[in-house]
Amino acid sequence: MKNGLFLIIVIITLCFLGTVYESVSFATSVNVSADVQGLCGNGIVNPGEQCDGSNLNGESCTSRGFSGGTLSCNATCTFNTSACTTVSPGGGGGGGGGGGISIPVVQTAVNFSGKAYPLSKITVLKDGQKAITSIAGPDANFNISLSGLSMGDYTFSVYGEDKDGLRSSLFTFSVYVTSGATTNISGIFISPTIGVNKSEVRKGDNIAIFGRSIPNGDITISVNSDEEFFSRTKADIDGVYLYNFDTSVLEMGQHSTKSKVALNGEISSFGRMVGFLVGTKNVDASVGKTAIKGDLNDDNRVNLVDFSIAAYWYKKTMSVEIAAKEIDRLNGDGKIDLADFSIMAFYWTG
Amino acid sequence: MKIGRIKILIILLVLFCVFPIIGQAAEINLSLKDKEIKLNQQFEVLVSLDTQDESINAIEGKLLYPDKLLELKEIKNANSIINFWVEKPHMELNGVIVFSGITPGGYKGENGLIFSLIFESQNAGNGNLEISDTKVLLNDGEGTRTNLSLVPLGIFISEEISQDQISYAKDDEKPESFAPEVSSVFDIFEGKEFLVFITQDKGSGIDHYEIKETRQRFLTMFSDWIPAESPYILQDQELSSYIFVKAVDKFGNKRIEKITPQNPIKWYRNYENWIIIVIVLILACIIRKILWEKINLKF
Repeated sequence: MKNGLFLIIVIITLCFLGTVYESVSFATSVNVSADVQGLCGNGIVNPGEQCDGSNLNGESCTSRGFSGGTLSCNATCTFNTSACTTVSPGGGGGGGGGGGISIPVVQTAVNFSGKAYPLSKITVLKDGQKAITSIAGPDANFNISLSGLSMGDYTFSVYGEDKDGLRSSLFTFSVYVTSGATTNISGIFISPTIGVNKSEVRKGDNIAIFGRSIPNGDITISVNSDEEFFSRTKADIDGVYLYNFDTSVLEMGQHSTKSKVALNGEISSFGRMVGFLVGTKNVDASVGKTAIKGDLNDDNRVNLVDFSIAAYWYKKTMSVEIAAKEIDRLNGDGKIDLADFSIMAFYWTG
Repeated sequence: MKIGRIKILIILLVLFCVFPIIGQAAEINLSLKDKEIKLNQQFEVLVSLDTQDESINAIEGKLLYPDKLLELKEIKNANSIINFWVEKPHMELNGVIVFSGITPGGYKGENGLIFSLIFESQNAGNGNLEISDTKVLLNDGEGTRTNLSLVPLGIFISEEISQDQISYAKDDEKPESFAPEVSSVFDIFEGKEFLVFITQDKGSGIDHYEIKETRQRFLTMFSDWIPAESPYILQDQELSSYIFVKAVDKFGNKRIEKITPQNPIKWYRNYENWIIIVIVLILACIIRKILWEKINLKF
């Protein structure tokens, strides 16, 4: 019996050693819910949708925490509570809550919704740091919720990454988050991704400009030269676009290209620029793959680590290695200064 | 008569060509919450940016203030549009504050707070606060500089002595969550592993950070917190330690984040496990002895 008791104690000890005991409390301040959009617009509330057309899934303004009004459904299959009403506290004007009526507690949260590319990875940055990632639906719509925030001013950035690993430019906006309120940011239209098939193209040959955007979107491609050239094409049902640009109209030398998309009256801004050389020979873009601007530690990201590396060399004489990177991935003026940090901030990924 | 009108037209055309049309420029504004400043009064000056519809992602400059009239008490950057400071606002010399930082993705707006300053008036008189040596860069991927408009802020301090104290809003919120990251680059810090971290506090602002490295899971309370700044060279270059980073705001609210070791040590190399085993064995012997005596007594 005493041997059995001893054995039990040893087993308990081994179990105790195997557990992870948290001696400090770790913040899990951000509660995440990511809704992957299904077939929005089919009248059926699919998983990831709050509503669809006139189908409100049995919800009303009252069930959403308001005192009355009319609940409707946005084109993104999220609730539209703009016509819901609340009772204002005495002496106040509009908004707010409280007074003598009991209102369900609302988390301090921000909802992001918009369009990117089908099944693309969507990343939300909060004050420059990665807060949450999600996947857009097959229709390119996304709806992401970020909660557990404090009251105050935030800078949020949203960008998409397509299946080929190409990233869009940052869609950035400043928001004041109110305690106990949910802020809805809708209509985010992510710029197309863009790539070229040649880093150098022989003058007169074609260069393929391609990328991803929203399905069936109208793509406008700008090629920068002394004179700016605009071309138009259409994204296919998977959001892929491709345009063969005749370089005979371009001068010899360095050029760049960017694109934007329009659909149903909505237009994105121009996205990232990609450079190419018009010269005397064709060089595939995959040969000697171009490093990302601002990425100083070769991890394919531009974030606080790169910022810290640049800050280390700020106003100092650079080593040979960092000087080479400064030429390749920053502005190449032989020193780390504010302009280099500005370039890094533009290409930031978090 | 006709020739006279033609001459006037020509003169006007020349004027338009010679003098460039004054385009819009970003503005850095200095503003006071308190219009009237008395002696020995604490007051706040806000430094904010109006981008005039451009997207701006980098700013640097100096703020000059009359140090004979004013004593700088505090620099606040909670809720700043600047997410990463190249040079956190600080006093370089008496009467000179320098600052430099970036906003990834850019900021576009009319009233973006850069930072604010708490001064205490020391002497009566007139003085100016002004911004100088300033650069504001566009979020265009090229680091393009944009035009900037600066207007100094004139202050007048009366002889009347203030009886009021500046009031601070209570802050009981923790700093924002964050994700410290370990990295190494061969040509900085002699290739040693270092830790980078940053967060914001929307209430009172971050006061300081502390770090703890420990290979123990249960006995971390016996390891010391060390004040630290990012980047921080890790003491355990084998990356076998748990790393805890504590962000503390100016009201003492704390947020602690943890990084698990990339190269955890084997269980038999961790003395903590042996201590626990010994303690448990001793307890087991004691319990066994007590139970044995009880059983003997029964019979």
